[in-house]
Amino acid sequence: MAYVRSPFVTFQNHPVEQPIEFDHRHHAGDEQIDCRYCHTSVEDAPSAGIPSTTICMSCHAQVWNQSPYLTAVREAYYTDQPIPWVRVHNLPDFVYFNHSIHVAKGVGCATCHGRVDEMGALEQYAPLTMQWCLDCHRDPKPFLRPQEFITSMTWQPPEDPQEAAALADTLAEQYDVHSRTSCTTCHR
Amino acid sequence: MPPLKPKLDGAPMKDTPTSFALPVVSDAAAAPAQDVVGEALDHASSRSVADEGAYGKTYWRSLEEKLGTAEYLEVTKPEFPEGADLPPTGVARREFMQLLGASMALAGATACSTRPVDERLVPFTRTPPELTPGNPLHYASGMTFGGSTSGLLITAREGRPIKVEGNPQHPVNQGAASQFEQSFLMSLYDPQRARVLRNGKSPKAVRTFGEEMAIISDRATQENGGARIRFLTEPNTSPVLAHLRERIQERLPQARFHTYASVSQDPASEATRALFGQPASAMYDLSKADIILSLDADFLESRPANLGNARAFARRRDPAEGKLNRLYMCEPRLSVTGGMADHRLRVKSQEVLSIASAVAARIGGNLAEVAAAGARKAPLSSEFQKWVDVVASDLRENAGRCVVIAGERQPAAVHALAAALNAELGAVGNTVRYVPATVTETTDASALRSLVDELMAGQVDTLVITAWNPVYRTPVDLGLEKALSAENPHRSKLTVIYTSLFEDETSQHADWFVPAAHEMEAWGDGRAEDGTVSIIQPLTQPIFNGVPASELLAYFLHEPFRTSYQILRDFWRGRAEVADFDTAWETWVSMGIVPEASAQSLTEGPNVQAARAVVDAYTPAATGELEVNFVPSYAVFDGQFANITWLQELADPISKIVWDNAAYISPATAKRLGLEAGDVAVLTYRDRTLEVPVWPLPGTTDDVVVLPLGYGRQGLHEVVARDVGFNANLVRTAKAPWFEGGATLTKTKKTHKFALTQSHWRMEGRPLAMDMSVADFHEHTGEGAKLYRVRGELPNVLPDFEYDGYKWAMAIDLARCTGCSACVIACQAENNIPVVGKEQVLRGREMHWLRLDRYFSGDEMGDVEMVVQPVMCVHCEKAPCEYVCPVNATVHSDEGLNDMVYNRCVGTRYCANNCPYKVRRFNYLHYTADKSPTEKMLMNPDVTVRARGVMEKCTYCVQRIERVRIDARVQKRPIYEKELQSACQQTCPTEAISFGTLSDPNAQVTKDHNDERSYMLLHELGTRPRTAHMVRLRNPNPALVPPKPAEAHEGGH
Repeated sequence: MAYVRSPFVTFQNHPVEQPIEFDHRHHAGDEQIDCRYCHTSVEDAPSAGIPSTTICMSCHAQVWNQSPYLTAVREAYYTDQPIPWVRVHNLPDFVYFNHSIHVAKGVGCATCHGRVDEMGALEQYAPLTMQWCLDCHRDPKPFLRPQEFITSMTWQPPEDPQEAAALADTLAEQYDVHSRTSCTTCHR
Repeated sequence: MPPLKPKLDGAPMKDTPTSFALPVVSDAAAAPAQDVVGEALDHASSRSVADEGAYGKTYWRSLEEKLGTAEYLEVTKPEFPEGADLPPTGVARREFMQLLGASMALAGATACSTRPVDERLVPFTRTPPELTPGNPLHYASGMTFGGSTSGLLITAREGRPIKVEGNPQHPVNQGAASQFEQSFLMSLYDPQRARVLRNGKSPKAVRTFGEEMAIISDRATQENGGARIRFLTEPNTSPVLAHLRERIQERLPQARFHTYASVSQDPASEATRALFGQPASAMYDLSKADIILSLDADFLESRPANLGNARAFARRRDPAEGKLNRLYMCEPRLSVTGGMADHRLRVKSQEVLSIASAVAARIGGNLAEVAAAGARKAPLSSEFQKWVDVVASDLRENAGRCVVIAGERQPAAVHALAAALNAELGAVGNTVRYVPATVTETTDASALRSLVDELMAGQVDTLVITAWNPVYRTPVDLGLEKALSAENPHRSKLTVIYTSLFEDETSQHADWFVPAAHEMEAWGDGRAEDGTVSIIQPLTQPIFNGVPASELLAYFLHEPFRTSYQILRDFWRGRAEVADFDTAWETWVSMGIVPEASAQSLTEGPNVQAARAVVDAYTPAATGELEVNFVPSYAVFDGQFANITWLQELADPISKIVWDNAAYISPATAKRLGLEAGDVAVLTYRDRTLEVPVWPLPGTTDDVVVLPLGYGRQGLHEVVARDVGFNANLVRTAKAPWFEGGATLTKTKKTHKFALTQSHWRMEGRPLAMDMSVADFHEHTGEGAKLYRVRGELPNVLPDFEYDGYKWAMAIDLARCTGCSACVIACQAENNIPVVGKEQVLRGREMHWLRLDRYFSGDEMGDVEMVVQPVMCVHCEKAPCEYVCPVNATVHSDEGLNDMVYNRCVGTRYCANNCPYKVRRFNYLHYTADKSPTEKMLMNPDVTVRARGVMEKCTYCVQRIERVRIDARVQKRPIYEKELQSACQQTCPTEAISFGTLSDPNAQVTKDHNDERSYMLLHELGTRPRTAHMVRLRNPNPALVPPKPAEAHEGGH
């Protein structure tokens, strides 16, 4: 069992080569662009949304519009062909994950996706095993954060455990967070 | 720079369309041009040798897999790998160890490959503003068939339509959709649809076709005004097509349009033309009718107004909504409506006129003359006298609150009598109003007689057929097939242009074949029976290069090309009287309805005296021997939907036969003729014979044989429909399209195997589907009475669950349920339920989560009563399945759902064995394997597609619950009752199903659970179902001797 949960099988910490050398370190780190600028539907749909080429071009029509790095983006835009990104986070087909409810309940991006602002090529941070899901679904409080820091890459709970617990209780109360462990919560 | 094109080594990419914005099918689009030609040539050559074409051959293979033919699957997919069943001895033992080793190695490989190596995320280039990937969109649209247009609301996911529901704002549909509208979606994705526009054997471009049509019409305009051009169309309900037609007539004044429908409203039109001076449709308001007399009218199921009728009728069957209505029915076969009747008289079709005249005679007044005329044509049999007397006095006592309905299969004389009765009883203006008919031309086979004569005489050069498959569905004596074949000496001068979704029986005779665009692929409009105009909005680009009907007709105008959207919009712009057309248009499209006028009622009542002339003109049908009756099938209508597997596997509501039609006869007649169920008999009628398998069905009139239409299809590429059942059109005649005496059945030595989803029809005295008269019900509600067995608390040692939130529950009202089966298809579409084929149904492996149990009571050789009971997983509080699952694959949720976890299930089937309701379904085979790319687009992405070896069952549409819950919780509010509907509940035309949470005391489902009629199925087992059923109440007339109590006959048959 140890083997199937090892990062080798869960495919953690393995930078994935993409058709375009998109660098989250630059966009989310240096430029401090909010996650939701590109992943637009994270608050109201199951999927966070892979940005359409128009979102890339909303900036790159102005900045770096001659860059050879972005030839493929421009080509995709003008030929109306989608960019075939390689999927990094992939759940089995019988699992139905919904981003909007997690974000609404105070689960931050970095909680599951890690420090994306430090990843050159994106990699899977969490094991995405059912055990890992249930750790939070059984006791969500320690994983909550205030809504205003939901996309923050650097937010940390208070260091004092009592203060942290108090904050967790407040947030759970405020966001009406419950443990949800019925099978059909995720499997339909 | 890395390549932009996706690498095609990863499996998932194979089926991903190149762009979500334009869901073009990869297999069609990717094929090089030469292949299209080759395919067309293959296909054309296969016309001569129908069973050996290369194009057809591949499809045969997929058909076998699709239908799950047992032999095929067992040969090609053995259950265990080779050698696995050998005993572990000697060499074989070594082999076994090798296999074991191999499986270990494979297990390792599997663990490594749990994640796909190269799964791609393909976003939009430009996301359409209204679309959020992952969230559904709903579009108002419509569907035309059988001479009326339904208003629909279609759910699309990322550009793919996946579910059809009724448009809640449409006055006829009111949110409901029948089995036909819902499953029409399946034909959109049918890989067997025609793809190639061809002239003879050579594929052509649409543009070439358009130019050719322009040449034909130009020449005709100059030469003779189109005197040698004929059009054969469906009954037209569309304002835009009517307008195109007018314009074609202006250009080609001598051209003629013919219309054909296999289920025609002509008798009603003929009668109303005499009585009102114009063809009219009767619109019934059954909510005001206390007494209904149906003269062979299956008004709850037959098009076009069935959905509205069913809703109004069902409300009057619920005592909570007021006084119960009472339905008297006389008919030759047990129909869905007949199953709801309080008093049902088994008569032959030709005796219906005598019943109508005798009732009219009893009512008297102005009707005396017409009644006498009717009695002369059809004298009443004395055995019916009492029934007629009681019905007439009940009608008279309830004058103004009663209605008489005549069926479409009955001649104009019966319609005239019904209208006269309605006038005399004061029903007109109260329970019935007459509106100008949507379809005014004649649409039955006799209207085609002149066309066929002209074809045979060589007076036609060009015949344009847009009607669905006239060669198959016209009566045999019309000779249309002969006129279109080489037997016609003038055939070489004739050019036949045919458009259809499939290469079918008619396309074999077409010179030009144009693949039609599906209604969900093109813009259009159409009228419902009451005159409401729906805008038919496409949900996708044409998947198989189909040409919309309006574009096809426009080619005959020889004007610059316009798309179906432009044609429709230009038409409405010219017609609408609104200041701001653009805004109005947007509103109409989003609502799906043009608020134009629904039809005004005719102000003048029917002219009762004119009815007499109609009755006098009637020539009684031949009598003697067996009376042959043709009826549209409840599953595939007239054959138009025969290639839809959902419908083929939809059990007939009465006989429960799937994948077949049968010649239904009464059990008494079967006994007399020495026929048993499944015997093949030769039907001799007029001078034609047909081999038909017979099925004795209780409730059928003696000496009647009922032949459902729509089967026995022989279309080239409609391989699902091909050779299923027999084609009743082969003995149907234009002169007697619905019934006539003089048929005989002769037993042969052959037998036919029928697949039924329910073969036993008695309850054996157990309280399953509770059905009693109002008086009996009040007698039995007390303790110690009959209902006590299904009520009250039972001791239970098992621990109770505690709920602090929602408690999902359902209630099914048997008083409202007619058995129409729309819910079965809704469930199938919503939950990705596979179709298994006849062979598998014969083994009891049908997969429907929701089944309709049908029980008969009474004397099965004579009069029977029918009750229908929908049964799906009842989500027991003490669920027997949960206790026996060794792997916890079925567990109780914190809201009382009986969850089914597919990924845990190992297929022991203990749960199914322990389920007393028999609602669990097991995937014996991999039914969803080998789906074509287009068929995959039909799947609901919110529901897991189950693999082989997994148990499944009704989930209370948990995907809908979870979606609504998440939306509600994101918005920080509770779930509103109206926003959450299960698929079956949503589509039910009679509102028989309620669903919601018992934690809300005001929810309809809580009220239903607390209703005095509610009971728990198999209550005595202590399972405590969350689904309650509600006792069906009958409202018999005390004056008619009630049928003998069911108990007297219970216990074997």
